[in-house]
Amino acid sequence: MSASIKIYVIVTAAVILALSAAKSFCAEELKFQYITSIYSDDQELKLKQPEGVACRKNNLLIVADTGNARLVRYTFKDSLAESAAREIRVPQLRYPRRVEMNSKSEIFVLDGKLRRIIRITADGKFNGFIDPPSGSAPSAYAPISFHIDKDDNLYILDIFSGQVIVLGTRGETRKHIKLPGEYGFFTDLTVDSRGRVLLLDSVNARVYSTTANSTGFTAITEGLKAYMRFPAGLTTDRQGRIYLVDRNGSKIIILARDGSFLGRLSARGWKEGLLSYPSQMCINDRGEIFVADTNNSRVQVFVEIE
Amino acid sequence: MIFRSAPVFLFCIWAALLFAAPTDTLHKVKLKPGARGTECLRCHEAFQKTLKNRSVHPLLKSGKCTACHDPHTSSHKNLLISDVSTLCSGCHKEMVPDNARSSHKVVVEGNCITCHNSHASDNPFILSKTGNALCVECHQDIGTRANQVEFKHEPLQKGKGCLSCHNPHASVRAGSLLKNKVTSLCKECHKTDRPSFAGRHMNYKVADSNCNSCHNPHGSNKSGILYDAVHAPVAEKKCKQCHPDPGAANALETKKKGMLLCRDCHKEMMAETFSKNRVHAPLTDKVACLNCHHPHGTKEKKLLNDTQFKVCGTCHADTVELQKWSIKNPKNENLCEPVKTGNCASCHSPHAADNVLLVRQENISIGLCGKCHEWEAHATHQIGEKAIDQRNKNLTVECLSCHVGCGTGNKPWMMPFESTYDLCTQCHVERKR
Repeated sequence: MSASIKIYVIVTAAVILALSAAKSFCAEELKFQYITSIYSDDQELKLKQPEGVACRKNNLLIVADTGNARLVRYTFKDSLAESAAREIRVPQLRYPRRVEMNSKSEIFVLDGKLRRIIRITADGKFNGFIDPPSGSAPSAYAPISFHIDKDDNLYILDIFSGQVIVLGTRGETRKHIKLPGEYGFFTDLTVDSRGRVLLLDSVNARVYSTTANSTGFTAITEGLKAYMRFPAGLTTDRQGRIYLVDRNGSKIIILARDGSFLGRLSARGWKEGLLSYPSQMCINDRGEIFVADTNNSRVQVFVEIE
Repeated sequence: MIFRSAPVFLFCIWAALLFAAPTDTLHKVKLKPGARGTECLRCHEAFQKTLKNRSVHPLLKSGKCTACHDPHTSSHKNLLISDVSTLCSGCHKEMVPDNARSSHKVVVEGNCITCHNSHASDNPFILSKTGNALCVECHQDIGTRANQVEFKHEPLQKGKGCLSCHNPHASVRAGSLLKNKVTSLCKECHKTDRPSFAGRHMNYKVADSNCNSCHNPHGSNKSGILYDAVHAPVAEKKCKQCHPDPGAANALETKKKGMLLCRDCHKEMMAETFSKNRVHAPLTDKVACLNCHHPHGTKEKKLLNDTQFKVCGTCHADTVELQKWSIKNPKNENLCEPVKTGNCASCHSPHAADNVLLVRQENISIGLCGKCHEWEAHATHQIGEKAIDQRNKNLTVECLSCHVGCGTGNKPWMMPFESTYDLCTQCHVERKR
């Protein structure tokens, strides 16, 4: 066998091996397991159409119990939550719809009735509103969602001014990122582990990401209507995977970091493990997935398994 | 030398010519000399009369019956050589240009015989009827209304009628089969450089604006063929209520943005809307009210941009699809009336509500479904606050425990399951076979 033929055979084998490795990587199989459902607090007061969940570390879980105009703080350990729950009620909180925590366990809540973001201390006391950026009248500001990144910067999706407003830890305006020109309707945003701001266009089921210089957004997916009905929640995990909460379709859709479809979690239903018009979801540092299962008036917990 | 012998070379030439030859659109049949259509007419005598019509299809006139029909056998009706939807386009390829901006559905679908007779008629272009009478066979609502309105648009009533503004097959210039863009089309008759034009438009420079924004091109019951549903400031010629003075550089812009402008007049509605727990998100963005309503006038009630169903479907296409699917489902003969008619606002409040999914009532069963349905008559099942849903201890049994409000596509009784058995055994597990 001549040298050139040997080289040809070796190169061909290498290409085939590389392609098969890439294929197995693309076909990453995701498996989730239902862990438990949270129905009430420690006083057995039932949750009522909760729309928000926040989790980060220290086993802490905050639930925006929307229908009861309150927050509930759970310590979620070894699948037990309800026995270690504490209600947080502040008079300013009328209709909590979305909740986030910063690294100091301070709580930030978007109130549906006030359409303002409320700041609550780690021990559950009112600590002011996150006011609109200076120069904007309150009526010229419409926060529809927000997110807190790992450095405690606050990203507000303001659909009135058509931009994402980035506030620093002292409330100073750090950046404005203009929303894309052509879109259906943006309902949620998040920031992934690499600092990319991701936006969700619910009408077209399309995900946008900030461009390299973070001055604008570019679509990272085509319209994903084939996979979902009306996604209205967005989050990411440590691996950079993107989770979309399909509100009308009552399921979770998982995308790879580049926006390609990976799989789905759960389906419509009333029994445990199934969802009915879910809203916000969060993933904690242990990889546990919490979903505000709104029309089922509970929070459901899932975990990814090997 | 690529070709080593002449026969191989000739074969290649022959093969190339065979595949490169254009396909003749006419169906070739070996008829005996001089036969042509005369042979067909020996049996199909009625065609002697047809041939006397003023307008006869050229193929029939020249006796080329076999251009469309196979004299012996066919898989298609009337011994046609191909499906009727593709037959005409074999010759009439130019009806919908590649760059068409709009096209007539019947043309695209190949239903040419909706408007044209296939053989002959006494009307030009072998049309089955002449003038507007043909168009209103399908577009009945427009035709009826155009004849009933007090202020009629002259081009629609005289001369070419509908074809004064619309092309019958396709348009490369504008949507809705319009011969040209709206403003250009209107300007063909309406001279915008005349003082009277400026006077009638309160001196605002609207010559290049979309005339359809205020005027109904099919006529209306309002002077100046303004839309019947016209915004009060437009009807009262109070343009300044929303726009700067006509002399201003930005005269055609609005004084304020979004809902801030609408709120100046619609104070009570806005106050009520913004007192609710949930405001419909589009109401708070920069387009605000105009996401669903038109600022000047429309054909629809409440100045909606289109029918309620289509307006909601702009964003909620998934739900609208489900509704359409439910209507087509023969198992859904008892489909809920608002779902059947696309009346989303019957159950959902389009501006704001205190409840999830902008549902009008918190207690859906009694407060909402109970408005139309005598829910207590649903005596086969316990329902209400005391009936705990066996599938979920935080829920009580309500109408929506067994039915889905917006329809369930191909499933019966607006249920989320294929059968009542599948539904009932969700809770009554012990009855499961």
